[in-house]
Amino acid sequence: MIRRLQPALVALASLAVVAGCTGGGASPSPSAPAATTSPSTPASVAPTATPAPSSNLKIGVVTDIGTLDDKNFNEYSYKGAVAGAADIGAATPPSIVPKDQSEYATDIQSFVSQGYNIIVTVGFNLAGPTTTAAHDNPNIWFIGVDQSPICVDTTGKLDTTFACKGDAKTLLPKYISLQFAEDQAGYLAGIVAAAESKTGVIGAIGGTTLCQPCNRYINGYIEGAQAQNPSVKVKVAYVTHDFSNAAFNDPVGGKNFAQSFISTNKPDVLFQVAGKTGNGVLDAACAAKIYGIGVDVDQYLSYPNADPCIITSAEKHLQSAVESAIKGIAAGTAVGGDNRFDATNDGIGISPITNVTLASDVQTKINDALAAMKAGTLNTCPNSTCNNVAKSTP
Amino acid sequence: MDALVNALYAIPIVGLVFQFAGYLVAIIPPISPIILRGATPLALGGMCGVVSERSGVVNIGIEGTMLASAFTGWVVGVALAPVLGSTPIALFGITLPLLLALVASLLVALAVSYLHAWLSITVRADQIISGTIINIAAAGVTGYLNTLISKNSPTSAGSFALFTPPTALTNLPIVGWLFNMVLNQGPITMSMLVLVVITQVMLFRSRWGLRTRAVGEHPRAAETVGIDVIRLRYRNVLIGGLFAGLAGAYLSMEATNSFQANMTAGRGFIALAAMIVGRWTPVGALGAALLFATFQSLGQAIAFAPPGGELGVLMTAMPSQIYDALPYLVTIIVLAGVVGRSIAPAADGQPYERESAT
Repeated sequence: MIRRLQPALVALASLAVVAGCTGGGASPSPSAPAATTSPSTPASVAPTATPAPSSNLKIGVVTDIGTLDDKNFNEYSYKGAVAGAADIGAATPPSIVPKDQSEYATDIQSFVSQGYNIIVTVGFNLAGPTTTAAHDNPNIWFIGVDQSPICVDTTGKLDTTFACKGDAKTLLPKYISLQFAEDQAGYLAGIVAAAESKTGVIGAIGGTTLCQPCNRYINGYIEGAQAQNPSVKVKVAYVTHDFSNAAFNDPVGGKNFAQSFISTNKPDVLFQVAGKTGNGVLDAACAAKIYGIGVDVDQYLSYPNADPCIITSAEKHLQSAVESAIKGIAAGTAVGGDNRFDATNDGIGISPITNVTLASDVQTKINDALAAMKAGTLNTCPNSTCNNVAKSTP
Repeated sequence: MDALVNALYAIPIVGLVFQFAGYLVAIIPPISPIILRGATPLALGGMCGVVSERSGVVNIGIEGTMLASAFTGWVVGVALAPVLGSTPIALFGITLPLLLALVASLLVALAVSYLHAWLSITVRADQIISGTIINIAAAGVTGYLNTLISKNSPTSAGSFALFTPPTALTNLPIVGWLFNMVLNQGPITMSMLVLVVITQVMLFRSRWGLRTRAVGEHPRAAETVGIDVIRLRYRNVLIGGLFAGLAGAYLSMEATNSFQANMTAGRGFIALAAMIVGRWTPVGALGAALLFATFQSLGQAIAFAPPGGELGVLMTAMPSQIYDALPYLVTIIVLAGVVGRSIAPAADGQPYERESAT
C-alpha cells in the first residue's frame, strides 16, 4: 500500500517543497527525514505503480535557486529531463526548487530517500552537494549540469581544499557532469557583436564573478569580437560578487545596473550572462535602443520582451544534453565524469539572427569558426584562462 | 581653471578628496535618473512604513504587500491586454489595460494591508508575526500562481513609458541634470515625489497628521480627547498599503513589464531601513532611499568607469564587495546614532485596547 502511494506522496512532497521554497519558508520536504546516513533503496525492488511507463527508472530534478520557469537554465534543464524520461518511457520527473544554498543537500537527499534512480542537479552551485551525494549513494546515477570539474580526494569524497587528487571518473562512476564549452558559444556571439557594432564599443554583463561558466562566455565573447575587429573595445561588468539574488534573480536590479552601464560606457551591443537579472539587462538594452545578445537558450523565443532588440543568443544546448545523458543511462552507454558538450557534438551554438541582417562575410566567418572548433583547430580558451574573471579590454 | 584643478588634485592625501569630489561631479549627473529609479520602490515602501508606524502599527509586511500588488498588476494586464487592446490613450504610454491593472494592484495591496490591520488592531495579534505571515504567504501564493500562469509566456500589457523632458531644459548649465533626473521618469516615480511632499506636509501640518502622531505616541491620551484610535490606525495602515501597492506596481509595470517570483528581492526590508534612517518622516525616507540607491549606483559606476589618477588606482584596488556593502554600513552607522538619534514612535507596535466602560 505504502509503495503504491509512493509516487503520489513524492509528488505531494515535492509540491510542498516547491511551494515552501518559493514561499520563503525553509521547510525541508516532509518526506525526507533528516537521514544523513545514506539509505539508498536498491533500484530493483520498487515495482512501478504509475500506469504504463515502460521504464522503472525514477528520475528527479533538483534545480538551482530561482524558479522552474526561469525561461532559462532551470527550465531547459528540466525540459531535458522530461524529454529524456519520455524517450525511455519513464514517469515524468518531479522537481524541487531550493530556496537557498543551505537546502541543496536536503533536497537531493529527499529524492535519494524516495529511491530515485537518476537525480539531475542543475547548476554549478550544486556541485558540492551532488559530489557528496554521489559518494554516499554509489547505486544512484547523478547528472550534474555545469558542475565540472568534479573535485574529489583519493577516496571519492568531496575535496573542499580543491586539490582534486582523486579521479572522479573511476571513484564516482555514476556521476555524470555535463560540461559546456561556453567560451565557444561566446566566441560566436562576439563575432556577431563586433560585426554589428557601429561605434566599436560593445559590452557584456555577467551575474557574478564567482560563476565560471559566465566567465567562459564573456572571455570567449571578447576573443570572438577581437577576431572580427581587432580594435573593438569590450566593456565588461559583473552585477555582484556573490550568489545573492542580485546575481541571477533580480530583473529590476539588472535593468538599473545595465542602464548605468550603458550610460557610462556607451556600448551599442550588450551581451547578458546573468539569468533573470540579465533579462532586465536586455530590457535596458532595448530601452536604450541598442542591440542585445541573450544567453544559454534562444532568448528571442524564451523572452519575448526583448524581441525588439535581440540579435542572437549564445546557446548551450542544455535540453538535448540532459536528454542524451538520461538516454545514455537507460541504454547502458553512459560514462561518469566530465562529459563535454561543445561544437563537436552540437553542445553549443548561436541562435538564428534576428532584427539585423549579417553581412555574408560575417556569416562565413561564423561558419568557419564553427568548423574550426569542430576540427579542433580553433582554441577559444587558451590555457584555460577563460575561467578567470573577464576584464574590459583596454 | 584646469591648472587650479590639477594643483588641487596633486596635494598629497587631501588631493584624493578633491579627486573624489571631482569624480562625483562628473559621474552623478549622467546616472542620476537611474539613482532615482532605484530609490522609487524604497521610498514608497518607506512611506508605507512611515504612515502606519506613526500611528503605532509596525508593518514589516511591506515586502509581501509589494509582491502581491506587483503580481496582480502584471496578471491583470496579461488578462486585459488581449481584450482591451493596447493603444496608448495619454502620456507615459498609458493604456486602458495598464490603468486597470494599476487599480487592481492597488486594490490587492489594500486587501493585504486590511488583513494586517485586522490582525494587528482588531485581533491584537503580534504585529511582527502578522507582517511575517504576509511576507511568506505573498511569496508562496504569487510564486505558485506565477508558475501556473507563465508556463506559456503570456504577453504582458507592457509598462508605463518614460517621459522625455525637452532638451532645452536638460541642457541648462548646472541644473539641467536635475531636471533630467526628475523628469526623465515614468508616472509612478514622478507621483512618488509628489506623494512624499504631500505626505510630509500632511503629517506635520494637518489635523490628520497631528492625530496620527498623537495616536502613535500616546493612544490613551488621544482617545481621552475624542480621537478614535482604532479607526485612525485602520485608515493609516490602509493608506500605507496604497503606497506599498504603488511600489509593487512600479516593479512590474514601470521598471519592467513582467513579473518574476520574488522580484521584490528584499526591497521591502530595505524600505524599512530607509524609514528608520529617515527618522519616520516621508522626506527622510526618500532621502535615505536616495542615499542607498546612490551608493549602489556609485559602486557600479566605479566598476564600469573608475576615475583616473591615484584615486582610480586606490578605488580599483579595493575589493568590489566593499561597494556592495556600503549602503548597509551607512544604515548601521545611522542606527548606531552617529548622525543623530532615530527614535521610533512611543506606542509603535503596541496593540491598543480600549478601557472598558465600567
